[in-house]
Amino acid sequence: MRDKLTPKNIIFFSIVFLFPLLMYGVDYITQLLSYRNIYLPTPSGDYILYIVVQVGLYTLLAVGLNIVCGFTGLLDLGYVGFYLVGGYTSGLLMTRLGFSYWIVLPLAVLNGALWGLLRGAPTLRLTGDYFAIVTFGFAELLFRIVKNEIWLIGDINGFVKNIPHITLFGIELKQNWHHYYHILILLTLVILVTYRLQHSRVGRAWVAIREDEQAAASMGINVSQYKSLAFAVSAAIGALGGAFLAPFGSLISAGSFQFWESILILCMVILGGKGSIKGSIIGAIILGSLSEILREILANFPQFAGARYLIFGVILILLMRYRPDGLIFKRT
Amino acid sequence: MEQFLEQLINALVLGGIYALIAVGYTMVYGIIELINFAHGEIFMLGAYLAFALVTVFGLPFWIAVPISMLLCAGIGMLMDLVAYRPLRNAPRLSALITAIGVSIGLQNLARIIWGAKQRPFPPESLPAFLRPGAPPTEPLPAFSLTETAIALPGGAYLPYRDLSIILLALFLMITLNRLVSLTKIGKAMRACAQDRVAANLMGINTNRVIVITFAIGSALGAVAGVMVGVKEIIEPTMGYYKGVAAFAAAVLGGIGNITGAMLGGLLIGFAEVFGAGYIPYGYGSGYRVAIAYIVMIAVIIIRPSGLFGKSTATRA
Repeated sequence: MRDKLTPKNIIFFSIVFLFPLLMYGVDYITQLLSYRNIYLPTPSGDYILYIVVQVGLYTLLAVGLNIVCGFTGLLDLGYVGFYLVGGYTSGLLMTRLGFSYWIVLPLAVLNGALWGLLRGAPTLRLTGDYFAIVTFGFAELLFRIVKNEIWLIGDINGFVKNIPHITLFGIELKQNWHHYYHILILLTLVILVTYRLQHSRVGRAWVAIREDEQAAASMGINVSQYKSLAFAVSAAIGALGGAFLAPFGSLISAGSFQFWESILILCMVILGGKGSIKGSIIGAIILGSLSEILREILANFPQFAGARYLIFGVILILLMRYRPDGLIFKRT
Repeated sequence: MEQFLEQLINALVLGGIYALIAVGYTMVYGIIELINFAHGEIFMLGAYLAFALVTVFGLPFWIAVPISMLLCAGIGMLMDLVAYRPLRNAPRLSALITAIGVSIGLQNLARIIWGAKQRPFPPESLPAFLRPGAPPTEPLPAFSLTETAIALPGGAYLPYRDLSIILLALFLMITLNRLVSLTKIGKAMRACAQDRVAANLMGINTNRVIVITFAIGSALGAVAGVMVGVKEIIEPTMGYYKGVAAFAAAVLGGIGNITGAMLGGLLIGFAEVFGAGYIPYGYGSGYRVAIAYIVMIAVIIIRPSGLFGKSTATRA
């Protein structure tokens, strides 16, 4: 992360920054070619941009989950619960009360942190698989609540429809390139915050807790306080992702927050290597794109719709067997 | 009264089914301290394999069920050999993540093979007394027999189907209890649960004991799957929902404790059926599945050793 203006970095950052322009350029060329009756078998640039925004959202979630799973070493099977909290906070406030997205965003983040603390308080003593099971049950309960509480959500199965677009200076942000820069800014912020935390006193305390809780406590680290902080930050990032999802998708339902989403995000963190921000990002990019590509391919074979998750299951098994510390980075 | 009796029967049936699944979770946890997430999937496969044997191969029900049990025992053993044994000395969370991977894999494999559709066991393939029957139109005197049910005092009916599920579950649990407490392999299992390394030093082939544990648990799970298929419906996600409820039962009874798991299963079955039946304003039915989650979370937070377990040091 040290700022080095090497040619490689300059090229990398310009591609990231000008990516929408590139994609719309591709679209423009395809259009020009189609006037001459040449049709390329490539997906449209706008669609690729949309996929990239989704992958960016998954990356955000993976970086957030990595705080609890990677830094403090606790297996969180219910991360999707915070995603849900953020999604419904922003979705409901925007549709029901007509709040602006820019007010809702910090509220959703705070609400997420609050839920993280709420879930964290009774689980502070738990470790290992018992912690995992409680987090799993927590997310499932939230899922049941949005599915059943029609008076609160307003529709069956947790549907919140017609979520308005985000407006900024009177412009509606509804193009994919708007979303692209939006998620890019959020993601950069989240990565910066996590990176700074990881390399601060807090991050070292988290790693100490992961390696040996008792030893950490005896060195004067307030274990419950630092664990609670990890839960809150991680949950806040999850809620941030949810708050973005609601206007981006313009529709949310209980179905977007199922257990398998938690597992998909967990899979990304593990693929990249627990405890490494870079690893989470790369894991999320690989699995996020794979997931979207598979969804595209499998759309032609409805009977194989389950194959997507079958492949994730196999990836988890193989990783644990051969590379438990992640495919990309080996923790020392 | 009539409603109460019917709920009681349903609770006993569901409790028996949960108990059979919970035993599989608890036995594996007792020996290798692994939450075998994929056990629910074995239970689901038990139902689907019996279903396939009956419908595709046209086997009679009585032959299909034991074959499905054997197949599931085989799958359970294979699962241990391929997925869990290589991780025996790895950190425990690695094994748990593997178990989740196996669970997702099997569930979606079933979805690919049989589709996501919910379906009942075809009634014509079942023996006559297991078929669902319409209750008689006019009330019968107590304890008189119809084609599919016994009339009970108070106007309720006890279907033979439910009666046989309860009796079979009871029989299997007594058999398991005898097996664990009286036979040589049972003794080896208890030794492994106490201390796997010491048991190994005493000349017990622990890997063999673990594989047999998986086989027994899986076979019982398969029977439970068929029971659900006969009583309700089968679908690829049944292993997930019923599996978590059964795991909650195992936690409630004190994980690792076989008798505890049986009682825990009954308790969860009762909580679910009576909760769904008697909690007002429709909360009971909407949160039917959630009751087990709430019980599970409460037990883990308040009393992690469960109702009947010995309190141990923190499980890391």
